[in-house]
Amino acid sequence: MNKVITINLGGNAYQLEEGGYDALRVYLETAATRLAGNPDQEEILLDIEWAIAEKFRGLLGNHKNVVANREVSAVLAAMGPIEAEPGKAENPATSANPSGSRPSGSGSGPSGTAGTAGQGPSGSGGATPKRLYRIPENAMIAGVCNGMAAYLQIDPTLVRLAFVLLTCLWGSGLAIYVVLAMVVPEARSPEEKAAATGAPSTAQEFIRRAREGYYEAIKGFPDRRARRAWQRRFKREMRVNAYQWRSQWQHYWAEHATRHPGVWVALPLISLLQGAFTLIWICALVSLLATGDVLGVALPVNVPVWVGTLLLLILYAVVAGPIKMARRACYWSLGHMKPGWSLWFLVDGVAGLVVMVALMGLAIHYCPVLREALHNLPEICHQATADVQSWWQTQGKEALTPHK
Amino acid sequence: MSVNEKFGAMRNGLLEFIVLQIIAVEKVYAADILKQLGSTEFATQEGTLYPLLSKMRREGLLDYEWKESEAGPPRKYYELTAKGREQLQATLEYWNKINATVKQLAQKQNAEAL
Repeated sequence: MNKVITINLGGNAYQLEEGGYDALRVYLETAATRLAGNPDQEEILLDIEWAIAEKFRGLLGNHKNVVANREVSAVLAAMGPIEAEPGKAENPATSANPSGSRPSGSGSGPSGTAGTAGQGPSGSGGATPKRLYRIPENAMIAGVCNGMAAYLQIDPTLVRLAFVLLTCLWGSGLAIYVVLAMVVPEARSPEEKAAATGAPSTAQEFIRRAREGYYEAIKGFPDRRARRAWQRRFKREMRVNAYQWRSQWQHYWAEHATRHPGVWVALPLISLLQGAFTLIWICALVSLLATGDVLGVALPVNVPVWVGTLLLLILYAVVAGPIKMARRACYWSLGHMKPGWSLWFLVDGVAGLVVMVALMGLAIHYCPVLREALHNLPEICHQATADVQSWWQTQGKEALTPHK
Repeated sequence: MSVNEKFGAMRNGLLEFIVLQIIAVEKVYAADILKQLGSTEFATQEGTLYPLLSKMRREGLLDYEWKESEAGPPRKYYELTAKGREQLQATLEYWNKINATVKQLAQKQNAEAL
């Protein structure tokens, strides 16, 4: 005895055995993914549904109402796999971020500091970057990380790692990256490039950094290729881990969550809680960066600002993580939602992003403290790397001395 | 790439031409096309044909009209547009040219072999 599922294909009802239904669903879902990006996707899918319907009808008669599993398999085999664009080679959907679609952003900066580009006291490492640009040279995607690294005077690999971590742990790195790729102008002229790195020429800057041994700290690999390979593997593993971990959670919640009416109350409350915490956290971070103390409470004397910043970041991850989890759980328990993508997530994500961007814009415009914090950021990052570097060097010396 | 794979690539390239030719004869619907192709080297499945038809329609080579069928959903009957006929004509001429070249070269080879 088999369970039967009734489906609607082309306006007619068909009854399939459960296994056949699953096979059909997988076939149609695969077809939809293969046709992603095809302007006629829906029409083709409809054509295919109707063709399947006709084949089913041919199988049924007065005394046969149900399409059996093996018959469904035979029909699907006869349909054949969906070829995205016949006569052409595979064309995966690579419309995400071609370097051709760059918004020209020359001279659109509202900041008043753009005038004094790059003619600062160079060479000694004291030159402060004046503007954030995207730097396409040696870029991996759009040059956002490269540009940020130049702005903050740190190794681009660190920035990239930070983005990967942000994406894996909180999922926000990708969104931030896309926004930055669209908003931040690209450094094209020599003047813009100089302003991006804060040095008169990138070559001198490179030599200076090489001399200071910036790259040595994380190198440890025989050559550039080996380092790149390691980076790539690391990214891939992080992605797989995050995915597995997330889908486990999703399955757990999808199975255990019940449709409790209290969710409708809990969801806004949790969202508010998260918003409030984020707001307070941002205030704390800004005040730390601008004045060196957290909302009026000074840091202990021997703790540098960058350590405080790092601690704040960790605090945020620890507190906001569970809140976020709870919110997701609410979404799943709202029912009829399978784990994974849903419209709710999209609406939630987009709304959150819009509010964030709007708040940031307003804040930068009206809040001098924030401007000061942003101004201090390069220096703090610089100090952080310098501290780490000197610590690294002392470690190296200590490791060497016993041998002598 | 084996010989079979090469033949496959050739067939793929020619499929659009063949479909144009079939539709040129009379208004047909997808299952008709598949049936006609089924007895030839160009035997094709729905999974390939539907995306191809929709691409050709997008390029303005063919158009369709709905016709009610006795039972079940209405069917799309395809016909060529003026542009489709033009392309078919051009392809036919080109095909004949290629064919002639191939024959000529083969004759030459035969003559030399003798």
